[in-house]
Amino acid sequence: MTSNVAILDVSNIKYTSPGREALRRLFHHRSAILGMIILGFLLILAIFAKQIAPYDPIQLLRDVDRREPPCIHLLGCAADQPQHLFGIDGNSRDLLSRVIYGSRLSLQVGLSTVSFAILIGGVIGAIAGFVGGWLDDVLMRIMDVLMAFPSLLLAIAIVSFLGTGLINALLAIGIVSIPRFARLVRSTVISVKELEYVVAARSIGANQGRILFGHIIPNSLTPLIVQATLGIATAILDAAALSFLGLGAEPPRPEWGLMLGEERNSIFNAPHLVFFPGVAIMLTVLGFNLLGDGLRDALDPRLRGTAAG
Amino acid sequence: MKYRWVYALFALFVVASMVIAGCQPAPVATEAPAAQPTAEVVVPPAEPTTVPAVETPAGRNNYVEMKVEAPDCEYGGEFKSIETVDEFTVKFTLCYPDADFPSKVAFSVFSIADKEYLDANSGDSVKMSEAPNGTGPYKLKEWVRGDRVIYEANPNYWGTAAAIPNLVFRWSEQSAQRLLELQSGQVDGIDNPAPEDFATIEGDANLALYPRPALNIFYIGFNHNVAPFDDVKVRQAIAYAIDRQRIVDQYYPEGSQVAKVFVPPALKPGYSDAVDWYPYDPEMAKTLLKEAGQENLEITLSLRNVVRGYLPTPDKVAQEIQAQLAEVGITVNINVMESTAFIDATAAGTEGFYLLGWGADYPGATNFYDYHFAADTNLQFGDLYPDLVEEIRAAGKISDPAARQVHYDKVNQLLKDYVVMIPVAHGASATAFKASIGGAHASPLSNEVMGVLTSDSDQFVWMQSGEPATLWCIDETDGETLRACEQIFEALLSFKVGSTEVEPGLAESYVANDDATEWTFTLRQGVQFHDGALLDASDVVASYAAVWDAASPNHVGRTGNFEYFTAFFNKFLNATE
Repeated sequence: MTSNVAILDVSNIKYTSPGREALRRLFHHRSAILGMIILGFLLILAIFAKQIAPYDPIQLLRDVDRREPPCIHLLGCAADQPQHLFGIDGNSRDLLSRVIYGSRLSLQVGLSTVSFAILIGGVIGAIAGFVGGWLDDVLMRIMDVLMAFPSLLLAIAIVSFLGTGLINALLAIGIVSIPRFARLVRSTVISVKELEYVVAARSIGANQGRILFGHIIPNSLTPLIVQATLGIATAILDAAALSFLGLGAEPPRPEWGLMLGEERNSIFNAPHLVFFPGVAIMLTVLGFNLLGDGLRDALDPRLRGTAAG
Repeated sequence: MKYRWVYALFALFVVASMVIAGCQPAPVATEAPAAQPTAEVVVPPAEPTTVPAVETPAGRNNYVEMKVEAPDCEYGGEFKSIETVDEFTVKFTLCYPDADFPSKVAFSVFSIADKEYLDANSGDSVKMSEAPNGTGPYKLKEWVRGDRVIYEANPNYWGTAAAIPNLVFRWSEQSAQRLLELQSGQVDGIDNPAPEDFATIEGDANLALYPRPALNIFYIGFNHNVAPFDDVKVRQAIAYAIDRQRIVDQYYPEGSQVAKVFVPPALKPGYSDAVDWYPYDPEMAKTLLKEAGQENLEITLSLRNVVRGYLPTPDKVAQEIQAQLAEVGITVNINVMESTAFIDATAAGTEGFYLLGWGADYPGATNFYDYHFAADTNLQFGDLYPDLVEEIRAAGKISDPAARQVHYDKVNQLLKDYVVMIPVAHGASATAFKASIGGAHASPLSNEVMGVLTSDSDQFVWMQSGEPATLWCIDETDGETLRACEQIFEALLSFKVGSTEVEPGLAESYVANDDATEWTFTLRQGVQFHDGALLDASDVVASYAAVWDAASPNHVGRTGNFEYFTAFFNKFLNATE
């Protein structure tokens, strides 16, 4: 009799998949929601930049003076003046349009470098963790060497070697982010490969490739997702830093770091020129960090069932 | 822990090496804080070792007769001979007339050093910078590399001694930082404030702005040996596509002018009223590009991101040009290069399209035309145009202004016809000082003289854009370096403070023969070098011989190129080619 009750109880528990559970907790995580709002806004700006931006970001405006402060009709700017919400930059271009187009570039930079790093780093880490032995040692020592350098310094060295330019800067940032992902994947692969379901797969005769790609990697993805989100933030910052130093995006490309670097001397007489790109970088990085934090909390199996955040 | 003793030994080794390292004198770490930029801190008393106290008594005389002579004028240089006539008279014999000779010898690169001192240092600029021994109003106290140069007044100066006993040179690339230091009172005078800060300085009752007249040219250079600039139509198209007026309006401070020829209007003979540059006409540019078959042209624009009086905002102007050319369908890639690498590359003729400029060293048209379009060693515009060279050389060798102008009119017309370069602007710049500084000025030649300043304080701190390379300038071209040398060394003649007028310097007077080929200078008597030696005619001959005669043991300098000598006086004697 008692056993029947027990069976009934179990069948009554509503089953939620781990993914759905994580999603539920993510949407209850306050800072993650904030992060998602910021990033959603950014995404819309980036996708519809052409429709939203009032001017071409690289077009010189003929009827204005360079470095003019913002002219907003609502705030008392004369109505016969053309409206420039963020003012005019040092080459008499509309700053608002440049900042909007810059979001496109920053998202591309973040996504492309991190995908590159995950792809290369993930493969290296998975192989090292799964195969083990001397291969693990060799690969991980190489990663250690890469990690021993401060990441921005290494990126500068790589860019100096490859030559300046946005693509080379992306490549450099991608390369310096590899070890982080390689180590992460390796450690999860090592912990996962000893779990029962892997042993079970092996015992029914699954081959190595199938075990690695079918069982181990899919189950090592969660920490990677968190790390990738946070990694995008770092990559955007690094790219901005490289552009600031004149090693990344080439003018006249509307890149936030480049916009900052070009106008760093006018911080006192035209502060809007460094304020708006600076705020844009800050908000983007903040958005990714908040989302990353939220994801980490949501995907942490130890917190399963509790209300996060 | 089988090998515990190995680890122990290693740890011991690490600790020991750290202790040893800690006991070493750490010059940078300990000295740097002492040299913090505080205006009121009087510079620490420097050891007298910086200016070596030579045992010989002050006012010692070391005159010897000297004569350096070229066997003939076939070697291609300007000098035939330089000789001492007597203790205080020196005579230059030239191979061809040179109307600008007084201006050239007034230029600070050709300063006079003591012969014994020059021999002792074998003319090595770097060595001489340790203890520069000049005749100027200031002498070196200490050069803290990477931080500041500290001078003290020369009590034995032959002219009016400097009123401020201590002079400090500092530097920062960032115009915002220079202004900030001036506003906060850390420095007393700055060079080249950014044009957009002019209004701030003028509005501040504690500061004063001194505009520097535009005696310079900013141009967009072409190398006609590099495709696609070998096609004159392409060069013309670009000339039509550039809106020079807009560049000057947007990026230059007040007082700047749109350039229509290669020299500023103040230089007559040289400037041509009659020659007008191509007007801004993008449609014409497109037509020309079509004719040249270059409708989808992609080119690279090279520049150095270094602020000079002729180009206050290089990166911005480059982007402006990029955008202007985009309007006629030319794609421009901007290539920012390191300053020295850029200068070397343009001079070697590898850059096809670039931004460069020139500030006058002396107020003469030869200073502009000869160096750029008639010097064999300068390949920046590609192979020389023979008819252009002929006109420039002809103009340089006669002294009648009207006759020279006829040649220069032709030169300017040829420059336009060939579109050798696009003259864009004569840029005004400025210096800024604390309002309390007396005698403050801005020199059109950028050679501000600190010896004439007066102040309530016993120290004057000057902040410029860059650190000097050396303090003996015979082999230097950078204005930042020259200004630092000029406080210590003096030339035969000099430029009136804040002006381009030549006035007596170490020479009291000079006479030339009728065809301007023999120049005799009478030196001032009783002029003392900082180490006590007296100035005499052999010092002048030795100083000139060191740079003119390539076989001289003192022909060392810093790089050994002596660009200014070859630009002013053509070839070296005994050159090994």
